[in-house]
Amino acid sequence: MVSSVVHAGFALLLAAGLLGDYYDRRALAVVLVVVVVPEADSFLGFVMPGAHRTVGHNLVLPAAAAALLYYDTRLRERSALRERLADRWIAVAWVGLFVHAFAHVSLDWIHLEGVNAFWPLRDRFYALDGEILLSTADGFVQTFVDLRTDPETGTRTVDAGATGTTKTVHVNNPVEPRDPDEVTDEPVNRIFPIANAGWRLYLIGTGLFVLAARRLQDRTPADGER
Amino acid sequence: MAPTLVNAAFGALIAAALLGAAFDRRAVAIVVAAAVLPDLDAVASLAVPGATNALLHAVWLPLAAGGVLYWDTRLRDASRLRERVGWRGVRVAWVALAAFLVAGVGPDLFGGEGVNLLYPLHDAYYLVDGGFVVSTRDGVVQTFVSVGAQGPGILPLETLGTTESYAIPTFANPDGRPGFSLGAERELSLVRTGWQLVVVASAVASLAVRFRREGRTNPAEDVAEVSR
Repeated sequence: MVSSVVHAGFALLLAAGLLGDYYDRRALAVVLVVVVVPEADSFLGFVMPGAHRTVGHNLVLPAAAAALLYYDTRLRERSALRERLADRWIAVAWVGLFVHAFAHVSLDWIHLEGVNAFWPLRDRFYALDGEILLSTADGFVQTFVDLRTDPETGTRTVDAGATGTTKTVHVNNPVEPRDPDEVTDEPVNRIFPIANAGWRLYLIGTGLFVLAARRLQDRTPADGER
Repeated sequence: MAPTLVNAAFGALIAAALLGAAFDRRAVAIVVAAAVLPDLDAVASLAVPGATNALLHAVWLPLAAGGVLYWDTRLRDASRLRERVGWRGVRVAWVALAAFLVAGVGPDLFGGEGVNLLYPLHDAYYLVDGGFVVSTRDGVVQTFVSVGAQGPGILPLETLGTTESYAIPTFANPDGRPGFSLGAERELSLVRTGWQLVVVASAVASLAVRFRREGRTNPAEDVAEVSR
């Protein structure tokens, strides 16, 4: 995984922008829990091969959760959630879903073998990698999704960085530091990364900067004084 | 430099996070502009040797601006800035300064092409890149800060060279040296790696959510804004 600390840093930056009036310690604590909990799929690796980056790292379950949340709180006449929870926690739930998709799943999508984005509908890991640039020689260039047409058969292939299925892919993590199928005598080395590149340290730092800045900022004055 | 689009995306995220009640389209535009501003030193490098990631990326300008802003809004009896632009204006000024430093300079310093932090007083490009891991075999391993490193720098960071020895190619200046090279091939990077695409997408989504919410909750305030 990209370290949970990095996810948390980016999550704080996003949450500070989205929580609005509900920004406080309790809401931030919920957001941090949302960031950490999906990593629990590392432990499922013992019972389900390839569980890490699959069960807690797909886009299908958050989409389903968002649809349910929308249906219950907006479309139904009597919302089961609104009866039990205050408006603030429904807003926090939306922020939690946003943060999970953008600060967790997306950041893991670009790291190592990627995420099993459409599990359980489709079992295939995807790793996002590439660049986008404008060049005076080649015009618009993007290498994230590789579209190719076979000159002989005319069939089109789309390569969006698929790396394998739960059967073939094992993403190393501190719980299972190497592929269980691999036979080796080397002693186990569990690596807990905190920040493995400059930009990851930057995301952590930016999250902390925003936290500190929000504390130092003066209160918003009442309407009359603005 | 990191792609300017990425600077703008971080600027937008900082605007959403810190503007608070001053959040509106104009304030966001100012903050994003402040995040993009440092990259204009690439244009200056056409005339000044090695100005890219140095002239506007050095710490002196934002330090001075921060000092003046602090003096005016906190220490003086009556703030001129507050008198002229009000509470909102002061908030926008502080957030724009933060965006200049964090979103404009930061991505270049942390794993970009490096920043000449102390230019022109001391000439060296610094880069913060490396790793910080805890492993059961090697314990804590940290390679971001290197004390006593070789090179021209005086800060304990990796150095890439000086304005003499290290040139950064940009769209405005493809060879990084003074003078126009009209025939040269130019590349404008929008997104250089996967994580930058994630940041840009997050910024677009965040702003979309915020502007939608803004339009839904306070149409009355917008009317007041116009009548003022």
